[in-house]
Amino acid sequence: METLQNLSLGLSVALTLTNLSWCFIGVFIGTVVGILPGIGPPGAIAMLLPLTFKLDPTSAFIMLAGIYYGAKYGGSTTSILLNIPGEPSSVVTCLDGYQMARQGRAGPALGIAAIASFIAGTFGVLGLMLAAPPLARFALRFAPPEYFAVMSLGLTMVAYLTGKSVVKGLLATFFGIWLGIIGTDLFTAQSRYTFGQVELVDGIDFTVVSIGLFAVAEILVNMESRVKADLFKLPKGLRNLLPKLQDLKDCRFAFVNGTLVGFFVGLLPGAGATIASMISYGIEKAVSKHPEKFGAGAIEGVAAPEGANNSDAGGGLVPLLSLGIPGSNVGAMLLAALYLWGLRPGPLLIHEHPELFWGVVASMYVGNFLLLILNLPLVPIFVQILRLPYFALYPMVLGISIVGVYSVNYSFLDVWLMGFFGLLGYLMRKLHFPMAPLVLGMVLGKPTERALRQSLMMSQGDFTILFMRPISATLLSAAVIILLSPTVQRLSLREKKGPQRV
Amino acid sequence: MRSGKHVGMLLGLLAWSGIFLHGQDVWAQGFKPSGPIEVVVHSKAGGGSDLFARAIADMTREENIIPHRMQVTNKSGGSGAVAMTYLVGKKGDTHTIGFFTPVLIVTPLTLKEAQVTIQDLTPIARLALEPTVAVVKADAPYKTMRDFVEAAKKNPGKLKQPGGAISSLDNLFRMLIQKATGAQWAYINLESGGERVANLLGGHMDLMLDNPDKSHEYVRAGSMRVIAALTENRLSLYPDVPTIKEQGIDIPILTQSRGVMAPPGTSKEVVAYWEGVFERLNKTPRWKKYLADNLMEDGFLRSQELGKFWDTETRLLRDVLKEAGVKVVR
Repeated sequence: METLQNLSLGLSVALTLTNLSWCFIGVFIGTVVGILPGIGPPGAIAMLLPLTFKLDPTSAFIMLAGIYYGAKYGGSTTSILLNIPGEPSSVVTCLDGYQMARQGRAGPALGIAAIASFIAGTFGVLGLMLAAPPLARFALRFAPPEYFAVMSLGLTMVAYLTGKSVVKGLLATFFGIWLGIIGTDLFTAQSRYTFGQVELVDGIDFTVVSIGLFAVAEILVNMESRVKADLFKLPKGLRNLLPKLQDLKDCRFAFVNGTLVGFFVGLLPGAGATIASMISYGIEKAVSKHPEKFGAGAIEGVAAPEGANNSDAGGGLVPLLSLGIPGSNVGAMLLAALYLWGLRPGPLLIHEHPELFWGVVASMYVGNFLLLILNLPLVPIFVQILRLPYFALYPMVLGISIVGVYSVNYSFLDVWLMGFFGLLGYLMRKLHFPMAPLVLGMVLGKPTERALRQSLMMSQGDFTILFMRPISATLLSAAVIILLSPTVQRLSLREKKGPQRV
Repeated sequence: MRSGKHVGMLLGLLAWSGIFLHGQDVWAQGFKPSGPIEVVVHSKAGGGSDLFARAIADMTREENIIPHRMQVTNKSGGSGAVAMTYLVGKKGDTHTIGFFTPVLIVTPLTLKEAQVTIQDLTPIARLALEPTVAVVKADAPYKTMRDFVEAAKKNPGKLKQPGGAISSLDNLFRMLIQKATGAQWAYINLESGGERVANLLGGHMDLMLDNPDKSHEYVRAGSMRVIAALTENRLSLYPDVPTIKEQGIDIPILTQSRGVMAPPGTSKEVVAYWEGVFERLNKTPRWKKYLADNLMEDGFLRSQELGKFWDTETRLLRDVLKEAGVKVVR
């Protein structure tokens, strides 16, 4: 009952004309920011922050939150159409989304991304509304040993992402882990693999690597072949521009998976949406009846990660608004914004400013709905990009990539590095190395190492700390089962079919 | 043409009379920016220095202190080294300033890749200080820093303090207190402030040494307790909390300071202009409100004193870093 009363308070705040307008402006800017690679919500929020000083804090927060979750919708667009990850968390969307576009299914891919985002986003808000304080208290039970278990669980997804050759998959994973640890070690303040370059002291940005490996490598691969005409099969007729009922049915599990994984990972400060989308993709492939289709245009491979990175936003607002603990750099920006407006984010915020919390929650239902009706009609328009001839398309992709990468740190070294990773990606494609394990290694390697070292510092070097705590013990057991199950499956298959080469 | 010439003469006369009328002002300032000001910060958009610089850009505009726009440029990377190198490259540029924190003093001391030190840059003004407080979870048995130290002595290495990099002020304070008391506790490096608060509130770790803005809301909500102010004098925010020296632990006080610097080779009149700008800002009620809202303290120092402050801080931090086991390269 109390929730309903609060929600009606929230709706009365969110549905005023002013706040509706700010919500729309926020989600619109968010969509644009998501579409443009490189510039992300933190940069956009920082630029807009001075303009918010004169606004009512609730209106301002409604707008900034709109940018935060709106960007997750836009992030899939360039991933699917041009193989350029629009946001770090949309890297996973490239794997199957771009393949769908090449098969003439760009429309359904973009459509399912918007629908998955809507479903997961809405359920994320529902979780935030119904149980923010208890969920935040649950998240507090996660210390480094539990983080290590979560990250290990994520790393086991390698087992499902390697493709045909286990050796090549593992090599790609280790290379990704190595890329991730370049930079200053948090524990000793020593530089690792920086080759004396001051620009590398903070590590290589994930955006630089992912745009190089995906967008630039794709251009190189396509430049090679002489026949360009059939690069993209163009969708014919309006009917093929949106997902069909069968597509939605295929994605039933992906919606649930994306929503739950994203929300849960979002609750944990410091984990991040990229990890969420990676894990949900791995789960999706693991439970799929046709895992061989993943990487070749499986629609579930778009729905799960896109859902996950959206409910991550709802999950991330749980510790932020109920405890004042930001989970990501966007969260830290929103926290700083609250301070600048003279509010005090912390355990008392919901009680002292109920109109802010409930207004924002209500606006997120509205905002997700606005995003759905904003993004679905854009699908047919965006798909027209694919009609461009290659001599116009490739320079455009390269231009967007360079500007995007440069805008991360305003560093030209990053642009050169992007070129290097483009060449590397090209070679990997030629030699049939899988891309997903490299991305997974780069995203999860360093957090896993860090959580392990933190755990051992807590226990003065005693490894049993990882197995004596109930949550981490459970998660680690799950990781072992996941790691072993493909091997067991293969062995049982071999028994049935007789000896064969694996 | 003719009338144009006359207008020109007239304007010239007006300008001269202006100088005579406001003579002292114009001669004293000499320099005035003729276009937008580039403001270099070492953090990414949304980081501490970035928000501080943007807030100041906003305040100087609202108060009409600078006739032109202040445009923030983020030169993140290399723990501040990238921004410092960039500023040194702007030698003689009168339309560029930068913001500093102690990170820019510590980084060249610990990072061999760094090419410049803060002494290569021109000090303008120190603006704000952020004090450090010691906090524990509200249901922890420690009422004072002494209690914590005694508990740490009984179980050496068992108690835990979440913190940032090994060279950050919270670890340096820990080293100083350990040295002064003989107690030993573990320091767990966690990347973000959010993780540190979460581990303290979750009861996984025991003591946090950080700026009050990281903990004040939890203190107010009754979920954390302040057990010492790591400052020379008691804080107006917590008048009942004794300083660490009052508790008989005598350590040098390190400060999280924020302020403005300029490229090398900045002339005296340009320095005087910028000093004047920030002195005027310092006197506005808007600035005082900003400090109070962000739990900062006024730390205004002019260029010359700031230069001396940088030198003493560098010496102090070098000693403490060595003590903390960090490899010092300069």
